[in-house]
Amino acid sequence: MTLAFFDWFSENNNGRYMLEGFATNLEIALIAIVFAFIVGLGLALLRLSRNRIVSYAAGIWIDVFRNLPLILLVIFLALLLPESWRDFWTDNVPGWAPEAFESGLILGAFMALILYNSAVLAEIMRAGILSLAKGQGEAASALGMTYGQSLRFVILPQGLRRMVPALVSQLITLNKDTTLVSLIAIQEVVRRGRIVNANSGNPFTGSETEAPYLEVFIFIGILFVAVNYALSRLSRRLEIRERKRTGTTVEQVKGLEDQVAVEPA
Amino acid sequence: MPTAFVDILTDNFGEFSSGFWVTVRLVVVAFAIAMVVGTLIGAFRVAPNKWLQRAGGLYVEFFRNIPLLVLLILLFYGLRDKNGPGIPITGFVAGVLGLGLYTAAYIAEALRSGVFSVSKGQIEASLSLGFSYTETMRRIILPQAFRTVISPIGSLIIAMIKNSAVIGVALALDDLLKVGRTIQSRNFQTFETFFWAGVGYLILTGLVTVVIRQLENRYAIKR
Repeated sequence: MTLAFFDWFSENNNGRYMLEGFATNLEIALIAIVFAFIVGLGLALLRLSRNRIVSYAAGIWIDVFRNLPLILLVIFLALLLPESWRDFWTDNVPGWAPEAFESGLILGAFMALILYNSAVLAEIMRAGILSLAKGQGEAASALGMTYGQSLRFVILPQGLRRMVPALVSQLITLNKDTTLVSLIAIQEVVRRGRIVNANSGNPFTGSETEAPYLEVFIFIGILFVAVNYALSRLSRRLEIRERKRTGTTVEQVKGLEDQVAVEPA
Repeated sequence: MPTAFVDILTDNFGEFSSGFWVTVRLVVVAFAIAMVVGTLIGAFRVAPNKWLQRAGGLYVEFFRNIPLLVLLILLFYGLRDKNGPGIPITGFVAGVLGLGLYTAAYIAEALRSGVFSVSKGQIEASLSLGFSYTETMRRIILPQAFRTVISPIGSLIIAMIKNSAVIGVALALDDLLKVGRTIQSRNFQTFETFFWAGVGYLILTGLVTVVIRQLENRYAIKR
């Protein structure tokens, strides 16, 4: 048996098959971060609500979903998803959607990713908003703004700006986490990597040379490292720029792996 | 007739608790690996030698940006592959190695920022008092650095508990989540079964949160 280096890549369109799978990962991450941002903003506002009960309930919600393993949520929601919802999705999926989105289980995957990441982002936003000097809110109310107005015109524009770098680093984490949906059989890059492995070396479906696991998964790893490294440089840039502009440090948020590396100014 | 909510826990208590302890073992061993490797890489990152710094940087960028699942598959299926190295690594070893090496990159970054948080004046003072580089590290910088990184390391332990759940499903190891999955496939009571598995994880993360908060109150240096 010949074992030429990266032979599998050029056979059977495997290279293209894998790259398309990787594009699916990026698409899932982008869609999920947009929705997680919206839901997370809502959660953060509820958490900061002046109504004790609302704030407390939002706090529990955030802490529960932030502290559960994402993979548990993914598998749980995929199993819990009613058959009818899955069928509805499969029948109505738009034609332009990528192949992987045709599986009804993608709904469960998105629900899990959004539930988990909105809780994480809510905590980042809360820290961003609380890091504003108290005087800002007081000044706004002294100027006669209502609570809603001070949020809209004073607090949120500043607080959200401060969390842009944190948002980009959360996108890195989310990007890595999209591989977890391979475990509920969605055709993203990890799933496809395993399919390439299973099919190659098979006289009926694949090529003669077997794709070594190490090569396939090192290739996948490099794809992620390249994209995420670029994102982390971007996040670092934004952070430094923001720091220069405002002369403040970025607030550290507990419970986030990617916030750990924030250096003291 | 579906079983009542609490019965799901009591009927399967043996399985749940064995899965719980597998998760604990995974996290403890992986944390030990992460601390040893992470301290080493962190030391590389702050070493006076440029090449060591680069090597440390390369390690951190690689392991921080690769998905844990891909790393686990590489270590387990990649090493076992009969067309590759063919090393019969077990799921547990591949799991703790993957999780440990992955978290080590974050530990290294946390330690590095801890070292940089010690003011430069202290280092200069120590060097001018005749301490060597290693002595300065050991007696002046590291004791302070470790105290500033208590809370980031606490967050990393919590992240490890959550990440450990990937190992069970990916490498067919009976940890808490995998056990929950097995029980669910028997009784089809998805909500109840996953509820109790989730409670198991929340107990672990909650415990770590409390312990870290105590340590912080006692030792941490606020900066």
